[in-house]
Amino acid sequence: MAQPFPYTYYACDCYDGNNTSSTKRASQLLQEAEEEERTFDPRSPRANYSLYPLEHLLYCEDCQQVRCPRCIIEETLNWYCPSCLFEVPSSVVKSDGNRCTRSCFSCPLCTSNLQTYSLDQTGESAPPFILECQYCRWSSLEIGIEFEKGQGIAAQLARLGNGGKHIPTNKERDKERERRREVEMRKSRDLLSPSTESTNTDTERDDRPPSHDDLFSNLTAFYKSQVDTQTPSNPFSSHDINFSSPSAYSRIMNLYSTTGSKKNKRSKPSAMREAASSLEGLTIHDPISDAAAIERIKREGWGVTLSPAQKHAQINPNVRFTDEIRPLATLLCTKRSKRCRSCRQILTKPESKITSTRYKIKLLALNHIPRLSIRALNASPPTPVASRTAETFDYNALKPGIPAHFLLHLSNPLFDSIKVTLATPSTTPGKVHSRVTILCPQFDVGANTDIWDDALSSSLSPIKRGSVSEGPAQIEAGKIWDRGRNWTSVAVEIVPGFTNSQGSGSEEQELEEDEDVLEIPIFVRIEYETDAGADDRGLGDSRGSKGEKERREEAFWTVVGVGRIKGA
Amino acid sequence: MSRPSAKKVAAKGEYIETDSGNKVSRRSAITGTANITLGGRTVIMADVVLRGDLHSTRPTASNSGKEGTPTSISIGKCTVVSTSSVLKPPCRMSRGAPNFYPMKIGDNVFIGPNCVISAIAISSHVHIGANVTIHAFAVIKENVKILSNTVVPSAMVVAPGSVVGGRPARIVGEVGEGWGVSGGGAGGGLGVGGGGEEKWVEGGDLRELVRSIR
Ligand SMILES: [Zn+2]
Ligand SMILES: [Zn+2]
Ligand SMILES: [Zn+2]
Ligand SMILES: [Zn+2]
Repeated sequence: MAQPFPYTYYACDCYDGNNTSSTKRASQLLQEAEEEERTFDPRSPRANYSLYPLEHLLYCEDCQQVRCPRCIIEETLNWYCPSCLFEVPSSVVKSDGNRCTRSCFSCPLCTSNLQTYSLDQTGESAPPFILECQYCRWSSLEIGIEFEKGQGIAAQLARLGNGGKHIPTNKERDKERERRREVEMRKSRDLLSPSTESTNTDTERDDRPPSHDDLFSNLTAFYKSQVDTQTPSNPFSSHDINFSSPSAYSRIMNLYSTTGSKKNKRSKPSAMREAASSLEGLTIHDPISDAAAIERIKREGWGVTLSPAQKHAQINPNVRFTDEIRPLATLLCTKRSKRCRSCRQILTKPESKITSTRYKIKLLALNHIPRLSIRALNASPPTPVASRTAETFDYNALKPGIPAHFLLHLSNPLFDSIKVTLATPSTTPGKVHSRVTILCPQFDVGANTDIWDDALSSSLSPIKRGSVSEGPAQIEAGKIWDRGRNWTSVAVEIVPGFTNSQGSGSEEQELEEDEDVLEIPIFVRIEYETDAGADDRGLGDSRGSKGEKERREEAFWTVVGVGRIKGA
Repeated sequence: MSRPSAKKVAAKGEYIETDSGNKVSRRSAITGTANITLGGRTVIMADVVLRGDLHSTRPTASNSGKEGTPTSISIGKCTVVSTSSVLKPPCRMSRGAPNFYPMKIGDNVFIGPNCVISAIAISSHVHIGANVTIHAFAVIKENVKILSNTVVPSAMVVAPGSVVGGRPARIVGEVGEGWGVSGGGAGGGLGVGGGGEEKWVEGGDLRELVRSIR
C-alpha cells in the first residue's frame, strides 16, 4: 500500500478518450453529461492511469486545465548519474549508453550500491581494489575480478572479463574477425585443392565459442557491410570509412568503374542477406552447453542460478549462473521540462544545474484547484506523531454497518472566493457498498487573501463550534461544519459496507485484494468570478471585456481513500 | 498504543522549549549535549536517542585551539525527529580504532518514528517514513522521500527529488513538482482540533507542524 489513509487522488479527465485538446467549454459539456450519467469508478482498471496525488499535477493556464503525466510532453534537459551526481553530456549518452562511465555500480544480486575497497592490509588504499555490495556483501572477488586502480572502475571493468580474463577491444575484435575470416578462406581453398596442410596450427585456438559481445560486434560489422554494399554513396562523404574493410574497398572500386555499372546497380538492387556464420554474428544453438547447464544445476542446485529479476538486469541476456554476472553500471537519470500536450505551453522547467532543485517555470495544479482532504470527525488532525496518545482513529479498521462521521476539508488557493458543489454516488462502486452522504454539498470557500486582510475585514465570521473534545457536536444537514479564511469543512456520513456479503443472498464472493478499501469518488465543481484582464490569454471570450469580472468554472473528479473496512 | 505512564509525565509538560524554540522531550535520551546543535524550532520527541557522545576523536587541524568541543550531530531549523528514532554519527575503522564523523541534518526534515539513522548528511525538505534504517555515510539530497520500512545501504547517495523504498533502497519514483508546496492550502490561524486539516505537507515547511506539537 503506497499511501497511508486518508488520502485524496485527483482524476485528470484526459483518461477518457482523446479530449486533451478540448477547450474549457467542451469540458463543461462533458462534465454536464458526466453529472447526469456516469460516476467515476476508482476501481475500473483505467482509473489507475488517471488518478494522481495533487502535487503531481500541473496546470496549463492557456487551456485552463489540469495536466497530468499523461497529457504533457517531456523534453530532456540533461542526463546525470544519480549516484555521483555528475552531468553526462548527451553526446556521451549517445556513444556510451545510458549508464555511468565513472565508478558507480550496483550489485548484480540485490541492486544495492557497490563501493570500491582496497584489499591492502597495511591500511592505506593500495591495489588491488574490489567492488563490494553495501547490503548483501557480494563482491567482485566472487567473479574473480580485482582492479589495479581505485578510480575509473568502469573503464577497467570494460577490459576485464570474469576470472580476470582479458576482454578484447573493438579494434582487437575487428582484427580477430579478419584473421578468422582469412583462416576460413584458406580452409575452404584447402578443401578444394588439398595441396598444403599448414593451417591446422591456427585452428587450435578457435575452439572457444564466441562471447555475446563477440557475436554482437560480428553482427554489427556484418550488417554494416551489407548496408554499405547496398547503398554505394559517395565514399568520401561517409565519416567512418574503413579502408581495411573489403566493402569500402569495393565502394571505391565502384566509384572509379564505368558509369554503366552504376546504372545497373540502381535499377536492380541486390537483396540483403542474413548472417550465415558465427563470424557474421549468427548465433548457433549449442545443445552441448545446454546439457552442461542442466548437469551443473543437477550438481550444484538452484543456488547457483539467477532469479528472473537478476537475469533481467544483466546486459547479457544469456547469463544463467552466479559466476557469469557482471556489476551493473548505474543507470542515468534525466532532468526534464514539461509542456502541455495540446498547446505546447511550457509548464515546468527546472534549472539545468544538476544539484539545483529550483525551477525557472513551475505551474502547479495545487495553485489553481482546491485541496480536498478528509479525516474522521473525532480524530485529531493527522499528525504522524505517536506521542499524541489521546484518541487516534484507526483508519485501517472501519466498522461495517455503523455510521461514522468524517470531515471533508476544502482549502482554496485562488485569490477569489469560490462556490463549491460536491457530488458523490450514494453508494460506493465495487463489491462492498458503503453509503455516503455529504451533509452540505454546496458552500462557499473564502479567497486566499493575505492573513492580515482576514483580520481586518471580518466579513467571513467563522462559525465557532465547540471543540471536538467537548462531546458530540451537532451535525446539521445543509450547514457547513466550520470555516476559516480560505477553507471550509463539511461533514460526511459514511456507513461502511459489509465485506462479507451478508445483505445479499448471493453465494460466497471472495473479495479481491484491496476491495475492502473504502474509496469514495467525489465530483468537485467550483465557480468563481475573477478579473477578466488578469489573464487574457487563450480564451477569446466576448464576455471578458476589460475591467469586468469573468465567470469561471472548473470541475474534476477526486477519489478519497477513507480507510479499510474491517471484516466481521 | 496508549502509554499510561506517558500521561503523568505529559502533565508536567512533555517538552522543554529552548530560547530558539527547540522542543526537546523530557523522555528523550540525549548524550553528549555539548556536541549537538539544534537550529531552532526543531522537535526531538520522546524516546529519541541522540548519540552526541560519539564524536571524532582525531585531533582536528582546523580546531585551532578556539573551541575544544567537536560537533557530532547538527540539526537545522524546523526539523522533527519522531518517537523512538536513533541518530548515531557514522563510524569508520581507521588504523584499528573507530573514528566517528559528524552527522549533518538540514532544515524542515521529517524523520518518522522508529528510525535508525547514521547518514553523513541529510539535506533539507526530506521526508523519512517510519521504521527506516539509514546506514553509515549515506547521503540524502534535497527533496527526497524515503518510504516507510526502507533500508538505505551504507554510502548510498540518494539524488535530489527522488522517492526511494525497499530493502535495499532503490529509486522507485520522483517526487512531484508540487513537493513541499502547500499552495495556499495551508490556512493560517487554525486552532488545533478546530476543524482544520494538516497545515503542512510532506517536504514542505514544517513550522506549523512544530507549532502544533506540544
Ligand atoms: Zn491528463
Ligand atoms: Zn556515477
Ligand atoms: Zn548486493
Ligand atoms: Zn495547454
